[in-house]
Amino acid sequence: MATLNLDHISKSFGPAQVLHDIDLAIRDKEFVVFVGPSGCGKSTLLRIIAGLEEATSGRIVIDGADVSTAHPVERGISMVFQSYALYPHLSVFENIAFPLHVQKMPKAEMKTRVQRAAEILQLTDKLHLKPGQLSGGQRQRVAIGRSIVREPKVFLFDEPLSNLDAALRGDMRVELSQLHRQLSATMVYVTHDQIEAMTMADRIVVLNNGRVEQFGTPMELYHHPATKFVAGFIGQPNMNLVPGVIADLDGSGAAVDLDGGGRLVLPVDTNGAAKGDRVEVGIRPEDLDLGTGLDLSVRVIERLGGVTLAYGTVGRDVRFCASLDGVAPAREGENLGLAVDPAACHLFDASGRVMRRKSAPAFSA
Amino acid sequence: MAEISADNAPKQRVKAARRALPEAWFAWLLVAPAVIFIAVIVAWPLAETVRLSFLEADLGGEEWVGLANYTDLAESRRFHDTVLRTFYWMFLSVGLKLILGLIGATLLNAAIPGRALFRVLVMPPWVIPIAIGCFGWLWLYNGHFGLISGMLQRFGIIDGPFEFLAYKSSAFYSAIVTDVWIGTPMVTLFFLAAMQGVSRDLYEAAWVDGAGRWYRFRRITIPQIMPVIVSMALLSAIWTFNSFEIIWILTQGGPRGATTTLIVDTYKTAIGNYKFGEGAARAVIIVILLAIFSLIYLFFLNKVNRRYGAK
Repeated sequence: MATLNLDHISKSFGPAQVLHDIDLAIRDKEFVVFVGPSGCGKSTLLRIIAGLEEATSGRIVIDGADVSTAHPVERGISMVFQSYALYPHLSVFENIAFPLHVQKMPKAEMKTRVQRAAEILQLTDKLHLKPGQLSGGQRQRVAIGRSIVREPKVFLFDEPLSNLDAALRGDMRVELSQLHRQLSATMVYVTHDQIEAMTMADRIVVLNNGRVEQFGTPMELYHHPATKFVAGFIGQPNMNLVPGVIADLDGSGAAVDLDGGGRLVLPVDTNGAAKGDRVEVGIRPEDLDLGTGLDLSVRVIERLGGVTLAYGTVGRDVRFCASLDGVAPAREGENLGLAVDPAACHLFDASGRVMRRKSAPAFSA
Repeated sequence: MAEISADNAPKQRVKAARRALPEAWFAWLLVAPAVIFIAVIVAWPLAETVRLSFLEADLGGEEWVGLANYTDLAESRRFHDTVLRTFYWMFLSVGLKLILGLIGATLLNAAIPGRALFRVLVMPPWVIPIAIGCFGWLWLYNGHFGLISGMLQRFGIIDGPFEFLAYKSSAFYSAIVTDVWIGTPMVTLFFLAAMQGVSRDLYEAAWVDGAGRWYRFRRITIPQIMPVIVSMALLSAIWTFNSFEIIWILTQGGPRGATTTLIVDTYKTAIGNYKFGEGAARAVIIVILLAIFSLIYLFFLNKVNRRYGAK
């Protein structure tokens, strides 16, 4: 398998620049997920790696070789499309064998490779069927089979689970993770679904407006989001952001006066910050407990069984969510007292950059 | 709680029938305009044509002759030649329309600058009235002031004026060219629409797998648009088989019958020579041949849809 380096990749469509100086080093056998909202440039970046789009500037380096201008086949990549891109008039066997047919591979070897892929993907008894006779999950497996037979250096996946229903998506996530382990392959996976990113990735690239916001392990992104954007994007429900002002600073952290009243002393690295700076305190809904500190004016309650989600506002009408115990005594229209652990809070400056937390779970270091 | 006794059942059936009857009548009322329309413009003329085909009918009157009109045609060498010529005309013209349509659609589907303009420029032969197009070609084929003859003379390919429509072989192929010119745009646009319906992902997946342009065309485009190709081939065959105006305006079936197809022959016999019975027999034979074509069309379309249509 192979390493993949994106060396200062930029891409413009006419006057619109969609990718800005993307610089990433993906390790051998790594499963990297590009995640971000629609229009952030993640699919464009994948298509540039595949050779379906040309970068305006920068280099694609696979296994040390510059493949920026090479044909996709010469790059040693294979790609699985969101729509599966199966040929409806060909059987499952013919679909999987398609790239080998293009290469004019001898029939015996072609058959062996297709059989092997079909066994991995549990499609052995479906090889004679047409794609139209398969379920969504089976179609996706055929598309993956077409990638596998190529024995590429790098697998590319463009939102491959988006067309599946929620239950099937969960199953396919597990299957893809198993496949990654089984093939020990370098894989790049694009999605807008943070759950896919968190559950499958070795490392995640969070993209926003064509720029890399952060590149790190799922736990790094969760516990140490580099920006307000990453903090808001990773984690479900979204992180709460309460505006405030720095009231005091010392070596151990910052005291923040929240706009709606109340003060939090946060153990963060305050390099460059000054008294009076506008900031936002990030509090994950799941880091809250019943107690005193913040008053949540509850508007909607969602009881999911194991947890209760309480939506409402705090302070000066700041939207807020708390994830509480499944049997938490929360009621719509009432106020709920919440205890905030300052060590679990994040602090963002006016530009959205984080002031790094001093304490965080050990595995995220 | 109300119970329905056995005595009530027949009454309910009567009520149901009363309700059903007006419904059936209402349904007939809804389809009546279409039924009357079809009866007047299709069924009655068809029945009248079949009746006429068993008669010796002209302006003077009618006389029952049984199958004589058909046996005459079966024994007529001239009629056999006309049938063969009609099929030759149809296969050659349809073949050219399909090939040119496929090439045209492929070019118009390619990402080239000014594509929209080219798409519009394809339309005129189809959009302008056939008669006007044919008169244009009539002038082009003229030996003395026609553009084609003039150009060929200028480039030294021919010595003097050449009347394209005056000679048996050149008249036939000239009529084919005009028929292809008029019929190709529609085929092109249908093929183009079908090509645009092919998912771009299929081409990109094939491109990533190393498939070249010709391979993609052969293995993706053609199979994907095959249902449309078959539909167009058979519909175009039926239309070309029945193509009358082009031949009539250009040559009226001449010279010496070189461009006389079944439909022209039928017109000349029935309307030109007032032999309504013989003309009707020819018309019935056309109907039978086209019915066979329609069956072939349905058979192939089903087969192709089964092979290529499953998405």
